[in-house]
Parts: sequence; structure tokens; C-alpha cells
Amino acid sequence: MSALLEVLGVSVTFDGFRAINDLSFSIQPAELRAIIGPNGAGKTTFMDIVTGKTRPDSGRVQFGTPPIDLLRLRESDIAKIGIGRKFQRPTVFEAQTVFDNLSMALKNERSPFAALGYKAGKPDVERIEEIASEIGLAEQLQRLSGELSHGQKQWLEIGMLLAQDPQLLLVDEPAAGMTLGEREHTTDLLVRTAKTRAVIVVEHDMEFVRRLDCPVTVLHEGSVLAEGSLDHVTANPQVIEVYLGR
Amino acid sequence: MKNTFLARNPSVLVFILLLAVITLLATVFSEAYGSGLLPTNYVKILGKTLCLCLIAIAMDLVWGYCGILSLGHFAFFGLGGYMIGMWLMYARTEDIVIASMTNAALPPTPDEVRDAIGTQIFGVVGGSDVPLVWSFAHSLPIQLALVVAVPGLLALVFGWLAFRSRVTGVYLSILTQAMTLALSLYLFQNDSGLRGNNGLSGLQNIPGLTDTPQSVLSIWFMWGSALALGLGYIFAAWMVSGKFGNVVKAIRDDEARIRFLGYSVEAYKLFIFTVTAVIAAIAGAIYYPQAGIVNPAEIAPIASIYLAVWVAIGGRGRLYGAVIGAALVSLLSSWFTGGQAPDLPLGFYTVKWVDWWQVLLGLSFVLVTLFAPRGIAGMFDRLFRKDAA
Repeated sequence: MSALLEVLGVSVTFDGFRAINDLSFSIQPAELRAIIGPNGAGKTTFMDIVTGKTRPDSGRVQFGTPPIDLLRLRESDIAKIGIGRKFQRPTVFEAQTVFDNLSMALKNERSPFAALGYKAGKPDVERIEEIASEIGLAEQLQRLSGELSHGQKQWLEIGMLLAQDPQLLLVDEPAAGMTLGEREHTTDLLVRTAKTRAVIVVEHDMEFVRRLDCPVTVLHEGSVLAEGSLDHVTANPQVIEVYLGR
Repeated sequence: MKNTFLARNPSVLVFILLLAVITLLATVFSEAYGSGLLPTNYVKILGKTLCLCLIAIAMDLVWGYCGILSLGHFAFFGLGGYMIGMWLMYARTEDIVIASMTNAALPPTPDEVRDAIGTQIFGVVGGSDVPLVWSFAHSLPIQLALVVAVPGLLALVFGWLAFRSRVTGVYLSILTQAMTLALSLYLFQNDSGLRGNNGLSGLQNIPGLTDTPQSVLSIWFMWGSALALGLGYIFAAWMVSGKFGNVVKAIRDDEARIRFLGYSVEAYKLFIFTVTAVIAAIAGAIYYPQAGIVNPAEIAPIASIYLAVWVAIGGRGRLYGAVIGAALVSLLSSWFTGGQAPDLPLGFYTVKWVDWWQVLLGLSFVLVTLFAPRGIAGMFDRLFRKDAA
């Protein structure tokens, strides 16, 4: 099977600082992968490049079969062909209800005309209710999302990601601000999601990564330092040096 | 879950009822159809105010809901007035010219009529030919279509250029100010073909209805304005209460985030910018026949800034807020600047409202911004609504 996402020799420089340095990376259509690395390793920049927010100076980024060149697409088009992103800081639309947030994320025609004529049909309402119970917000559908707790906002954003029904999910620190029980639920959800699609999780928390039980890519100074199981990479002397700063 | 249009928009019913009551009352007290308690002048002010409420709704859609602080929407209002004004002026002049030529020995040729109209209309700017832009001025249907098409096209092209380049915030506001300034300066020129600083005048005289007194026409126009405002309110409520409205509010609150959900922010902005420009143009096309004159000063940059002030004072992001703001501020403004407001003698100094009204308006704008960022409608919400969002 060919890779779903293929990043080849990508570099990007901000004001002389090399955030990403000749980075290559690939992921299969149904794979869970964790990306770890110290601050400034380029984890968020990597996501920015894949989602079209940042344009790299050089390199290639391809998605799907037949491969589509992501570097030629706008953010909204990248989202439309099936790449969803969850931000580090939960960003939901606080002035709108949980239902409306999910409804906007739901995989539907995105043009202004389609939105004007849109009526939430039964399948859509059912899908939203299904996602809401999955993320534990079934009772909160009519509440304004600004009233939710930090953890609930994280959940809502994960729910919006699921509603988009993407082929590739980029998840930035999903467990931040969650209780232990919520973390376990998140792990479950991500592992289950990765059975049918590709999921990339960026995380600081080693315990959380261990629970995901998946291949790990270690980034350092904008390129891949090590790749393999968590035990394998944590035994790598270079990784130890980067993390412990010896 | 009840999800009908009226359930989602409780203000629509109240608004339509109030609007109907006000127009009915005005009719009952009018000179033409009622007791005559309300002079025709006041009926005209009321009719014009309703048009200003309509453009305020357009402003609220584009700014209050979508977060685009356009400071150029009065340009579309003025253009709408110009488009209808061309027909009003041309057709009326044509009637006069033909009437004055009926006594001639030979019936006038079409060319002679056209020359006479040209001299009549453009003599004031030293011309006698009918300029090319007046090619369709004889036809009411075409000029009515142009009321929508010209401002709509201007908004479409301007918006496409601005939004495609991701011009946002203060830069977009400045760009829209530049647009309305440029348009106004262009119209000020005598060779623009639209009579320079004289503008188009005599618009209160409707061709074919010269025998109908102004007292009757003013009532008709007031009803027309009320109808347009009512329909505009329903249309706007429909637009913002569904998924389209949710996306538009999401653009206002976090443009980058909604982009990552796969929505083309540029397409939505362009859509709402153009639609509101058309609403503004329609409002202008009903306003200026009541005002009687449209000239380039009407679309000076300050007019569009006033529009934003009305919406801010009334409360943006609430349709009734925009209406309250526009009605209140424009009525107060004509009261204070019309000489009706009694001067305020302080002994050492006499406050003349004609001069001090601007200060009062500026002060209330500052106060609203500081202490009631949701405007007058925000205070309403605190009383009547729990989910003040």
C-alpha cells in the first residue's frame, strides 16, 4: 500500500531560523503515529505545512492516491480533500452552541449557496447526536460552547474533527488539561479512529504516548531524529541527550 | 426541538408589527389620507428614516455578523440613488420638452427632443449632449436593473480584489474609505456625465405622476420604504439564522479556524459584501426620490462612518440593534440640526445644538463603546434574553 501522506525533503526558514530542515516523513492510510520532540523541534510548523498555513521554501508534500500536491492548495481546499486539524489551544466557536459547532464541521457542501439552503436533515442530526455522545457532550448540545470547561472544549474540538470525516487527522496535544479518566477515553477514541484512517498525534506527555502504543517519530531541530516504538526511541542515546540536555 | 423560522427569530414578528403600526399611524395622521396632523415634510423624514434603517441592516450584516468593518457602504447607497435619479430626471425632462414643443409648426424629431433634453439637464455643467452613461435613462426597467447591477458589480470587483489578497481589519476599512472617496471625487467632476457637484435634482417629481400632490406621493413612498425595510429584515434574519449565519459569525470570531474546517472565507466575505451592497443600493434608490436630490457630497467618506456609528450605538450583531441605532441617531440628528432643538442658555455661554450635536454624538459613541459594547440592543438583551451571545 502506498503512503497516504508523503513529506519529502521539506525545509522552511523564518527570519533566518530553520524551523524545518530537510524533513521527510510518511504515514499509511490507517496508521496511528505519535510525534514527540522538545520545544522548538518543529512539530507545530510541520502541521502548519501539511494544512497549508505555512509554505515551505523547498520540498514536496503529497497526499492520497493519485498523489495531490498539497503545496498548491489553499487551507480550505486542503481541509476539503480530507485533512483535519485539532489545535493545541482548543479553538471552538464560543458564541455558538455545541450543535452548531458540530454542524459546521459536518462533511457537507461548503459553498455560501449550499450553506444558505442548508437544512439539518435527519441523517445529519443523528450523526451529530452520535458524535456528541461519543465525546460525552450529548446533554450539552444546546449550550453555548463558550460555557464548556476546558476539557469539554478539547472534546468538542475532537468531535468537530470526527464530524469532518477526514482521511488524515492532525491532533496537537489532545490530552492537555484533561483528567486521567478523560485521557483514557481520548486514547481509546484515537486508537479506534486510527483503524480506518491516519492519525498523527503531537504530544509532550510521554505517559500519554505510551498509552497510545504506536510508532513514534522524534523531531529535533526540524528533522527526524529517530523513529520506531517508544521503547526503541527512548533507548536511543541521541534522543536521551536531546531530552535531558546532557 | 422547535426550529421554525419564527421560533429562531422572535424579533421578526414584533418588528413587522411595529413597522405596520408606525406606517398606519403616519397614514392616519397624514395630510393626504388622514387628519393632517402630520405635515408632509415629516412623512418624508419618516420614509427616509426607514431607508436608513435598511442600509443599517446591511451594515450590520457585513460588520456586526461577518466582522468586515466596511466604511464604504454609503457609496452603494448613493449609487443606487444615482441610478434611479437618472431615469427620474430624464423622463421628467423629456415630458416637459415634448410638452413645450407641441405648439411648434412641425412635430419635433427624436434628435431635436434629445438635444433639448441634453441642454435642459446638462446646461448647468456647460454641456448639451446626453453623455453615454445616460444611454438607458429613458427606460425605467433598465435603470431599475442598474440600481442592482452597478453597485453590485462594483462591490463584486472591489471585494474580489480585496478579499483575495486577504486584506482584513483596519486595512480593509481604509480601502473602503478610499473607494467611496474616489467615487465621490469622480462624481464631483463636471465631465463625469452626472452633473458634477450639482448632482441629480428634482427627484421628488415622479414622471407621469405630475398631477399627484407630494402629500400623496410621500405616503406611497413611505409605504414602499416600509415594505422594503420589512422584506430586508426578514431576508437578513433568514440569512443569519441558518448555517450560513453560523459560518459568517465563525468568520467574524476566528477566521483562520473556519478556514481549517474547509470553508472558503473569501467566498463568504465576497458573497455577503456584494449582497449587502445591493441592499444598500435598493435602500438608496427608495431614499433619494424622497430626499429630492442626490449629489457627490452624499457619498463623502464621513457618511459611511456615520453608518458604522449608528450600528455601533444601536448594537451590532443584532438586526433590531441596527434599526434602533439608525432610527434614533438619524431622527435625533435631523431634530438637533434642523433648528427645532431649543438652545441651551448657560448664562456665560449658549449651547447651540446645530454646532454641539456632533459633539454629543461623538461623546455618546465613546460612551457606548466603553460602557455598552453591545449598544442599545445589548441592554435589551439583558432584559429579555438569557442567551445573550
